[in-house]
Amino acid sequence: MTRITILLFCFHFALGNRSFAQCCASGNPFISDAEQPALQSRVLTAAFTYRYSHSEQFYHNDSPCNDLIFSQTANVNYAELQLAYGVTKWLTVMGDLGYFFNKTLHTEGQDPMRGYGLGDAALYLKFNLYSNAKARFTISPSIGMKFPIGVFDQEVDYVKLPISVQPSSGSFKYFANVFISKGIAEKMALAGFVSYEYAQLIESENFYYKYGQQWIGAIYFNYKIIKSLSLDLQIRNEYRANATRENNEMVESSGYNVTYFTPQLTYAFKYNWYLSAFGDIPVYKYYNGIQMSLGYAVSLRLTKKIDFITIRARHQANKTSN
Amino acid sequence: MNRSIFFVLISAFIVFSCAKEKSEKTTGDIQIQSLTATFLTVKAWDTTLITMDATGSNLKYAWEANHGDFKGSGKTVKYAAGECCVGLNTITCRVFNDTGEASDTIMIRVKTHYGH
Repeated sequence: MTRITILLFCFHFALGNRSFAQCCASGNPFISDAEQPALQSRVLTAAFTYRYSHSEQFYHNDSPCNDLIFSQTANVNYAELQLAYGVTKWLTVMGDLGYFFNKTLHTEGQDPMRGYGLGDAALYLKFNLYSNAKARFTISPSIGMKFPIGVFDQEVDYVKLPISVQPSSGSFKYFANVFISKGIAEKMALAGFVSYEYAQLIESENFYYKYGQQWIGAIYFNYKIIKSLSLDLQIRNEYRANATRENNEMVESSGYNVTYFTPQLTYAFKYNWYLSAFGDIPVYKYYNGIQMSLGYAVSLRLTKKIDFITIRARHQANKTSN
Repeated sequence: MNRSIFFVLISAFIVFSCAKEKSEKTTGDIQIQSLTATFLTVKAWDTTLITMDATGSNLKYAWEANHGDFKGSGKTVKYAAGECCVGLNTITCRVFNDTGEASDTIMIRVKTHYGH
């Protein structure tokens, strides 16, 4: 009964409390599933994530802005491949690569603007700073960098698309974060995540722009419903400072402070396959100036985990028994 | 071994470079007459028509803006920019054909829609 109540609560929250947050920015979106601690040594995980997001509401500060003379909607179909490997018991190397099937801006009465193609690639180093299996307590800081390897100069009929629909972010980004997890009961865990991102200046012949720095803070509650099914409830706040343009002029209608509720269900299949479904639902938002805001995002993630030490041990055991 | 891998990865984080190449192209038979706009100052989301007048054979027109976006293509395009792009924006038109290319820029000031 308790399980059903929790599921119904999530379902109600996911469908009934929809509000709007950030729309399009160049580069890969933040994939907001529950963060994981550093991997154990010789463990490989490969994850494929698909994400759909929809936006249509403009916001002025913390209120919907309905007096614009036109209407716009945006939708993004995005996929990301992530690989992580536990090089040692204290170091995990992670990499990911994003691809946009489309990043489309529809304006009433106009042809839609559609960007697509390779987004950014990222490389992270995640450290197992502290881990106490008995207390189920871990601290895993990470550092990382995003590489703008994807498409940033996409054009249609020789007309360059605006930066908001370009797949790549066009600049290097650096980030550091820390993930802390603590088991609080047999089937429950609490976790926290804080991340900082610094974007380098985008500078080209005809372009000068710098995204503001970004802070993300999240609290996760994890509950194992049954052996193979777990639920994560996440509250996450994303803050981005104002961007700057030519002559270090501040872009007034840039930057935001948005709080999301992200419910997630993960099912563990046989042979270390995992399937997760999660959604981003903004519950509070504040946009500097007037900006289009993201409505909601839904994601599916398929993960395969390979433990090479276990495989080797099994192989050797088989050899011995033969 | 593990330490070596770690230092290689750290190095990959720190060491990177990007080289920019700039090639000189001739204008061929292209001559730009003018690059004009119906309005040089517009409010956010309002539009201005920008026209490139150039002579030459089989001309093609490429448009680029540092902020804002275009509707249409060819020698005349409609330019508009939202609140994100308030400021003095640079629009570049590149005209090209088989003989060469030429370009010109025009500045459009975008003011906030709510005027303060």
